Amino acid sequence: MATLVAAPEAAAPAPVRRTRRRRRHWRQGFVPWLFLAPALAFFGVFKFWPTVWGIWLSVFRVRPYLGNQWVGFANYRHAFKDTLLHTAVWHTVLDAFVTVAVSAFVGFFLALLLEGPSRTLRLVRTAVFLPVVTAMVAVAELWGVLLFPARYGAVNSLIGHLGLGPEPFLNSPHSALWSVMLIQIWKSAPYDMVIFVAGLAGIDRQLYEACSIDGANAWHRLRYVTLPALRPITTIVITLGIIRGLRVFTEIYVLTNGGPAGATETVTTFGYKQATTGNDTGYATAISTMLLAATVVLTALVLWWRRRREDA
Amino acid sequence: MPPSRYLRVASVVAASAVILAATACSSSSSGGGGGTLQVWVRGAGDAQKAYQKLLDSFTAKTGIKTKLFMTLTDFETKVNAAASAHKLPDVVVDDAAQTGAFQSEGIIREVDRSSITGDNQIADATWNVAKSVSGKYYAVPFSVQANLLFVRQDWLQQLHLQPPKAWDDLAAVAKAFTTKDPNHNGKADTYGIDVPGSTSRGYISWYWSTFLWQAGGDYFAPAGPGKYTSTINSPAAVDAATYFEKFFCSDKTVQPSAVNDVTADANKVFQSGTAGLYLTGPYAYATADATPVKGHYEVVAPPAGPKNAQTLAEATNIFLMAGSKHDDQAKQLAEYMITPAAQQIGMTGVATSTIVRLPVNTTINSATAHNGDPRWALAQKLYASQGHFEPDFLPNWQAFRQATSDALNKLVSTCGDPKSTLDGLNGTFQNLLEQQGVSG
Repeated sequence: MATLVAAPEAAAPAPVRRTRRRRRHWRQGFVPWLFLAPALAFFGVFKFWPTVWGIWLSVFRVRPYLGNQWVGFANYRHAFKDTLLHTAVWHTVLDAFVTVAVSAFVGFFLALLLEGPSRTLRLVRTAVFLPVVTAMVAVAELWGVLLFPARYGAVNSLIGHLGLGPEPFLNSPHSALWSVMLIQIWKSAPYDMVIFVAGLAGIDRQLYEACSIDGANAWHRLRYVTLPALRPITTIVITLGIIRGLRVFTEIYVLTNGGPAGATETVTTFGYKQATTGNDTGYATAISTMLLAATVVLTALVLWWRRRREDA
Repeated sequence: MPPSRYLRVASVVAASAVILAATACSSSSSGGGGGTLQVWVRGAGDAQKAYQKLLDSFTAKTGIKTKLFMTLTDFETKVNAAASAHKLPDVVVDDAAQTGAFQSEGIIREVDRSSITGDNQIADATWNVAKSVSGKYYAVPFSVQANLLFVRQDWLQQLHLQPPKAWDDLAAVAKAFTTKDPNHNGKADTYGIDVPGSTSRGYISWYWSTFLWQAGGDYFAPAGPGKYTSTINSPAAVDAATYFEKFFCSDKTVQPSAVNDVTADANKVFQSGTAGLYLTGPYAYATADATPVKGHYEVVAPPAGPKNAQTLAEATNIFLMAGSKHDDQAKQLAEYMITPAAQQIGMTGVATSTIVRLPVNTTINSATAHNGDPRWALAQKLYASQGHFEPDFLPNWQAFRQATSDALNKLVSTCGDPKSTLDGLNGTFQNLLEQQGVSG
């Protein structure tokens, strides 16, 4: 019996080993996907499918119950002619440009100030980072109170001591967009700071030492070591900033709803209104699709520019 | 792709499908169907308790089970989502302002008024809010109200003033409240008029409507059966816009945050003693009485304008939804909700939430229901004698309201020219009338 069983095993050892190896290989490949599956399913349901569905709806006049009517590119043609949307696009571009640039600038200097392993610095960094983890709705509501446009408003009381104000902040078409930008910068600069801190920690200390030996001062070290070494990180900060800036919504929806006089209307708030009060989901999805395309193109451009710079 | 990779991808797809199926199963329970009447209501807070009480009493009386879903945020968006899935609830309770929009979307059923038990206990004027542009009925009214002026009584006494009775008085009292420190704290921290001036949901237009009616203006004039022309740039409308703009631009008697304030903010402005004159509905009694302003304010008829003393009226409608498998039970619920017993529960069932502001049923009285409170008597009297509804029978009135809000918000925040603002709005109105197929 023993020989009978042993004989085939001895006769075919190689295929068995191959099967085992394949099984192990399959299992090794399968397990990570299994862990990823819940997240993928979640993104599939709540992100990818709505995106695809939204693009599909953009060529229809959406009538939820009576059935959608095919309109071709009419919604897109409407968008190109809609002067209110053009104003919203301008506000969005201005908002994205200013907030990305200023947040990166402030974030970089915060990173320079607060980079280091000391416990005190870590505490300060955590404190500075808090706005990032606070919900935007709460942040916006608080800033709404702080920026109350009367003399006794918190910020107006402060600047009153300097003989300034009272400023209308969110309540004047001239200052509303700038006030919203201030809130966005306050919230996103610490986020940029954390990325810069990670970048700074990765710079080889020997480069600084070599520089110092060559007689470089602090400015030289910043200009010729820190900034070039942070180029890839800066690209990430700018890319994330553009994506964040173009889809600005919550703070504007909570604080001004695009007002006063449409001064803070952005592409997302405008699109949202078309879908809700305007009852025109087709047009709203066309606007969102164009925003998605613009974001993808801009991100690709930044990445292309970065590669070109690095190759050069 | 090697076979093992195909297998891997297939297994991921399978795992995702299982999770998707689980998600789909859990969401399908929110739609219609089953033996229970699905009732969706736009509202929040204590209104949930009040509606639940009302539905419980309906179940106790008829044995028909109900399931209540309530939300305030993006309610109509959720109704639209249910419509596209063809899983509409059986009954929806929402602002009458949605009547035309719901009807043009085909999501509500026509109501045969004469077949509704108790239809003759609702006044004809109230039934009008359930009509579409075709003149047919598409809802059953559940609650109505008219705006009143809330005035800080203690501030008036402090400054030896009387409640305003006409437009000039209103401007004068607003000026005094802003400049004469009525709360005697030595700070310039009080204002006259409390305005929810945001464009959100069309609040500023909603607020301004009372001034428009009082100046003798209107949004539209009839131009044949089911057809309308815009009258939004009439001299009367320009008068109303000019008067309204003065509060913001020359008198500066509105609260400083007015142009961005929604009604929730405006409520706080009045309740916190920031402004002393607030034009709002009687539902604000309960919320104001729960704050320190209780006992310090009185409620009067809105000051009369140059042509009349009308005031904005509003309604909440019961909509019977298309595709319901419970037509008869849904109708029974609507009939129950307009009975004196149900209206009474809506008025006083939960003290902090008057889901029935003024009863639509003419056999009962709101003042009696609220222990003889004269404020409710005034609201009832004003609704009957001076109430004026917005034209919410149009296929999409909300689009006009939004356009009006955008124009008014721009006018008061840039201190522009009222005539040219309304001329521009008139052009928008004509386009919208044409788009909606009701241009005369």
